[in-house]
Amino acid sequence: MPMQSETAARPAGPRPVQSGRAGGAGTTAGRYGPWRLLTLFLAFLVILVNPFLNYFFGINWLQGWYQSLGVGHLWFVSPLEGLESLLVTRSLYLPSLIGMAIPLLLAFLLGRVFCSWICPISFFAEIIERCRLPGSRRRGGRVRFGHHLIWFALVAELLLTMILGAPVFVVLSPPGLVGREIMMAVFSRRFALEGLFLVAVLAPELAGRRVFCRSFCPLGGLLALVGARRRMVVTLAPERCIECERCSQACPMALRPARGETLSVYCWNCGACVDACGPAALAFAWDGADPGSRAGVRFAYHFAQGRNEHAQEK
Amino acid sequence: MNRRKFLRRVPAWAAILLAWPISLRAGILASPVATNRLRPPGAVPEDLFAGRCIRCGRCVEVCPYHAITLLDIRAGVFAGTPLIAVEQIPCTLCMKCVQVCPTGTLARIGQEQTRMGLAVINRFTCLAWSGKTLCRTCYDKCPFKNRAIVLDRLKPVIREDTCTGCGLCTHACPVTDDLGLKAVNIEPIYAHAE
Repeated sequence: MPMQSETAARPAGPRPVQSGRAGGAGTTAGRYGPWRLLTLFLAFLVILVNPFLNYFFGINWLQGWYQSLGVGHLWFVSPLEGLESLLVTRSLYLPSLIGMAIPLLLAFLLGRVFCSWICPISFFAEIIERCRLPGSRRRGGRVRFGHHLIWFALVAELLLTMILGAPVFVVLSPPGLVGREIMMAVFSRRFALEGLFLVAVLAPELAGRRVFCRSFCPLGGLLALVGARRRMVVTLAPERCIECERCSQACPMALRPARGETLSVYCWNCGACVDACGPAALAFAWDGADPGSRAGVRFAYHFAQGRNEHAQEK
Repeated sequence: MNRRKFLRRVPAWAAILLAWPISLRAGILASPVATNRLRPPGAVPEDLFAGRCIRCGRCVEVCPYHAITLLDIRAGVFAGTPLIAVEQIPCTLCMKCVQVCPTGTLARIGQEQTRMGLAVINRFTCLAWSGKTLCRTCYDKCPFKNRAIVLDRLKPVIREDTCTGCGLCTHACPVTDDLGLKAVNIEPIYAHAE
C-alpha cells in the first residue's frame, strides 16, 4: 500500500493542527465525547421535564417527544413517522411536511446526528457503555450483526406498514417509547407494557455496542439514507495515520475510520474516532467547498473496502 | 446469506405468516372507540386514525383537564393513540388539542363543528323519563343548552344536529346502571363515517 510507505517515509514532523487538540496520544477524553454526552443528556432532559411542566404547571410551551416535538409554535416531526403517516393515509398535510423539513435538512447536511447526539436510546447506551468494564469495550462488542441489515429493517418496516395499513414503527419506535413511558408515568401513574421493548432494545448493549441502532433501527436507516451525501464527514489524513487502530476500537458502529469507512453511509458522525485518534489524523470536515477531493476520498474508501473484503475472505 | 442459512430461516417466517391471521382475530386491529370511549375533537375517521396519528402524545399533554388519555399496547396498533373516557373526565371543548396535532389527525375545527359522538338518552334508566324525579342535570350541564339538549315537557331531548358529543352530560348524569353506563351516553356514530 502506498499509504503505509508514505507513513514510514514521513517522520513525525511539526503538526500545527495538533497543537489545539486536548489530551495526548490515545486519550479518550477528547473534544467531542463530553459535549456529545451533554447534548444527549439535555435532549433527554427535555422529554423528561416536559410532561411534568405540562401536567403539574400547565405550561404547554414544550409538548411531545422525538416523534413530534413542539417548541412554542415551532414543531418537529420525525421523518419516518411522517412518512408512514403519509404512506398509509395517502394524504399530504402541510404542517406535518414542514415539521419534517428541519430534521431532514439536519440529516441531509450532518448525517445521522440525531441518532448519535440526540436520541434517548443513544443516551442510555452511552451510560451503559460507561458503566461496563473497560476490557469489554472493543470493536462493537461481542454481539454483532451486519451493517446492511438496517436497509432490510427500513424496507421491511415500510412494507409491513403498507400491508397492514397501520404504522409499525410509530407504535414501537424506541426513542418515541422513552417519551411515551415518561409521560404515562406522569399522567397515568403507570408504565405502558410496550416499554418492555425498550428493555429488549437496550439489553444487547451489555454485550455489544449500539446493536439495535447499527442494524435494526428503521429510523436510523432512513436518516442514514438521507445523509448518504452529507456535507459534514470525518476525514482521514493518511499521512498522519499510524494505523494504531484506536479509532476502530472507539467506533460504536464497528467501522474502521483508519480505512476511510467514516465516509460510508453507516457513519453517524458521533466523533468518537476523532477523540480517540492520537496523531490527529481524523477530523470533522465540512466538505462542501471541495467536492473534488471528496470524490477522491470516496474512491479511496471503496478501494479500502475492497481490500477489507479481500482480507476477510482469507 | 447462502442458501442453507436462508432455508434455516424459512420455518420462522412461515410461523410468522401463519400466526398473522390469528393475531388479527385477537384484536390487534380492533378499534378502541366504543360507547363513552371517544377520540378527541376533529378526529379523522377511525379506519384512518391508526395510520395517521404518529403517537406523539402532544394532545394528551396539552389537555388542561387531563381528559385525553393514552392507550397502551393492549389496544394493538392503536397503542399510543388518544382516547377520552367521557364518564370519567369529559371534553370541555377548549380545542387546545386540535391546535397542536402535527399530522392533522385532529383537524383544526371549532367547538360547534366538533362531532365526537352523539348523546343518546336511555329512557328506561333516565330519572326524568322514567318519572322518578324532575332531573335535568344533563340539560343544565350541556354547553349548548337549549340547542343540543332541549326540554320537552320537562324531559331532556337531544338535538342531533347540534350535539357535539363532548360528554359533559354523561359525566354529570347521576344514574349509573349495572353495566357502568349512564342514562345518557355518547355513541361514536361519526367515527366510522366517511
